[in-house]
Amino acid sequence: MLPEPFTPDFLTQLETLRLRTRKEFLGGHTGSYSSPRRGTSLEFADYRKYSPGDDLRYLDWGIYARTDRLYVKIFREEVDLFAYIFIDASASMGFPSREKKFSPASHVALALAYVILANHDHVKLHLLQGQTNGSASQFYRGRRRMADCMDFATSAVLGGSLDLAPALGEHLKRLRRPGKAILISDFLMPAAAYQPGLNLLRSFNLDIAAIQILSREEVEPAFPNGSLALVDSETQGEIRYQWNSASRGDYQTRLAHHNLEIRSFCHQIGIHYSLYVTDRDLSDFVFATLPAIGLFK
Amino acid sequence: MEFLNPTALLGLLALPLLLVPYLIRKKPRRLVFSSLLLFMEAGIPASGRPWGRINLPPIFFLQLLLLALLILAISEPVFSVRPTNIAIVLDNSASMQALEDGKPRLSLAKESASSVIGELGAGGTVDLYVTTPRLTKVRVAPLDPVEAKAAVGAITALDLGDPSIDYDNVLSQLARERRYERVYFVTDHPARGQTPTSRVITVGRAQHNLAVTGFEIHRASLVNARLEASAKIANFSDRDEKIKVVLKGSGTTLASRQVAVGADKTASVSFEEFAEQPSYEVAIEAGDALPLDNHRFAVAPASRHLQILAVTPRPQAMMSLKSIPGISVDVVSPAEYEKSERTGYGLEIFHFSAPAVPPQNPALFILPPGSHSLAKPGAPISNAAVSGWREPHTLTRYINFSLLRPTYARPLKPQSAGDVVIESPNGALAFATERQGVRYLTLGFDPLPFLGRENLPMSIFTLNFIDWFFESGGSSGQATGEPIRLGSVQPGDVLTTPAGGQVSLKPEFGYFSATFYQGIYRRGRGGKSELYARNLQDTNESDLRAPAPIELRGTAPNSSSASVLFSFWPYLLAASLLLLLIEWFITPRMAFFGFGRRRLSGAA
Repeated sequence: MLPEPFTPDFLTQLETLRLRTRKEFLGGHTGSYSSPRRGTSLEFADYRKYSPGDDLRYLDWGIYARTDRLYVKIFREEVDLFAYIFIDASASMGFPSREKKFSPASHVALALAYVILANHDHVKLHLLQGQTNGSASQFYRGRRRMADCMDFATSAVLGGSLDLAPALGEHLKRLRRPGKAILISDFLMPAAAYQPGLNLLRSFNLDIAAIQILSREEVEPAFPNGSLALVDSETQGEIRYQWNSASRGDYQTRLAHHNLEIRSFCHQIGIHYSLYVTDRDLSDFVFATLPAIGLFK
Repeated sequence: MEFLNPTALLGLLALPLLLVPYLIRKKPRRLVFSSLLLFMEAGIPASGRPWGRINLPPIFFLQLLLLALLILAISEPVFSVRPTNIAIVLDNSASMQALEDGKPRLSLAKESASSVIGELGAGGTVDLYVTTPRLTKVRVAPLDPVEAKAAVGAITALDLGDPSIDYDNVLSQLARERRYERVYFVTDHPARGQTPTSRVITVGRAQHNLAVTGFEIHRASLVNARLEASAKIANFSDRDEKIKVVLKGSGTTLASRQVAVGADKTASVSFEEFAEQPSYEVAIEAGDALPLDNHRFAVAPASRHLQILAVTPRPQAMMSLKSIPGISVDVVSPAEYEKSERTGYGLEIFHFSAPAVPPQNPALFILPPGSHSLAKPGAPISNAAVSGWREPHTLTRYINFSLLRPTYARPLKPQSAGDVVIESPNGALAFATERQGVRYLTLGFDPLPFLGRENLPMSIFTLNFIDWFFESGGSSGQATGEPIRLGSVQPGDVLTTPAGGQVSLKPEFGYFSATFYQGIYRRGRGGKSELYARNLQDTNESDLRAPAPIELRGTAPNSSSASVLFSFWPYLLAASLLLLLIEWFITPRMAFFGFGRRRLSGAA
């Protein structure tokens, strides 16, 4: 049983989408994504001189008529795509509640996974926790594996503090095929923590997309005015904070600046970036925002 | 500046409590957030300041000022100028003799009074009053401060209880009628409330005390020479005491006994078989706060020989009384009564006669004439049946009233307050009354002559009324302040007070009323002397733990007092209300007194 946003209409709409990659990968099977190899797809790639033994069906008779030389058309090979969806499963994804942050994040991941599965591509889900902990699913292919994807996402137990680069490194060590990497996280970490992580993904020749997930309570904290003892959900560190309208504005300025830094860094290194505030409609985000940043064709 | 309700100032001590809600409020609310990354720069690590930052908002100081003003307003502050015409009422009752750290309360009261006098403005005048034996002015003319201090120093405490007066009313009346700007009452009673003109200055503190509250010397019966003494010891404290009680006779110790008295209890102790003395004293050996009530005095009971003056036209009937042991009878006719010497008689019997005014000795009126002032006899009846009698009563004990049937009787109609002791269906047959400690008995029948066993009911009744008069001879002494009846005074008669002072008695003296000190008063009459005992009777004076408070309910001040007092609590109250409005304006969500206010504006 799929969760609420995944209605038949929503799924039907998702089937119309295709993930866009800005890199060519060597796929394992015939698929719909370009490969650096030449193959038998319908997409023309180049000409080369005819050599005995070439398939006469690919001779370009028009060039022969004009130049009296034999050339054969060569086409791109279209291969299937291997996609890796990394979901932040640290304790901060459970704030203010699992339903308000991690579940929407996993819905985004599942929507993306469904798009991939519907195109008969391979998708693998990774849960990022701590430095080395975290689990990963097997590769799923085909729409019928959607339920497995959902089971995996919902089985996540949130906890711990995420150190992005080591956590990604642990997962990437076992990665054998390049492809599309989608990182879903709240990115509530200093630049010195997320930048190495994203650079690490780049080093594995992955086409990367970063989706930042924030709950409404993180964007507009509803603290009562006065003295607060704020506790970090991951580190359990505590600070005293005097909360009032001025500090609220200050916080929102800091958050906007932090998000801008992530966006700028992603743009600099060619990563698709989008921010999803979890009280937003999922279909609107998937069908409007993600295509707009070039994640879908 | 003074405060009419200074107790309210204690509320200032509670002002620090206002900090509590702020401290509670300042205890930071613990909230979990996904990441403190964006708070780190502006926040303070919890470990750095474990108690948090005490940052009192301006509204706190506004509330503090508001509460302080309210408390000041409730305490009713008044500005006063130095009064120039005051009265000082000094409590000189017995309890003022109680010792406070070895110093009598009266001394403390005098110091307070002198201090008040010392604060008088130039040209000030003082009227000095004492409370006992009644509220009286010490000097008629107003005193200047120097004279007043001297007069205060001369005041002594009397062995009398507090007069039962409403001090609030009396002090206000003094201020109103005598135009005093202020009336100070220096006493050991606490005060509740103040009035613009009346001030109560309380001296002394609650103390434990033991007291002899009763002492009596009596004979077992008229014909019995054996003396008995009984005393009551009261313990006005919250702990049990064991004390030694000593019986003294004319200064010599006759007997002593240990007695245990429980807290707040009274114990009785009795002595028997002791030598007859003119006067007796019982004392307890207790080093308590009030030495005065550790002693009590009594004189020897009346002689066991009862001397009767019989006024009768029928002497034979009276002479029959001589057959009773211990009774001697002098008979005079009614016409000779006024001329006769009547002192020394324990009982006067008027047989078919009565004087114009009741005599000063106890008297029995048998079938008095119709002009009798105590009870008028009605129509004669024969074989009167007794239909009711007082019981228990000395007059009715041992009598079988079914056998008491006077052959001739005239039922009485009482003309004054008293007890109908025996009555018939037609009216009273025996009417007893007492005036100024003197007992009178009026009979509507004639119990005489005394026939012994031949008329047993009448003989028993005769013995009963002799006992009844005999016991009224009184050996327990009377209260201080009770006058001593002098009777006929001969030139040269002298009365010696307990302190040893001698008062020459004059023939025109009917009473000696200055019996303000406890002890034995001795009246010298020729070669003979008579003793009178006076004791402090007010146990309230002995109970030093919680004197009755003086309620000052605040009657309207007189016009002159208004000129020396300027009350400005209404202005303080108005200022408080203004502050309240300001606070209301500043914090519209203010809850009651601001304690419950929570800043919820950002919690949407």
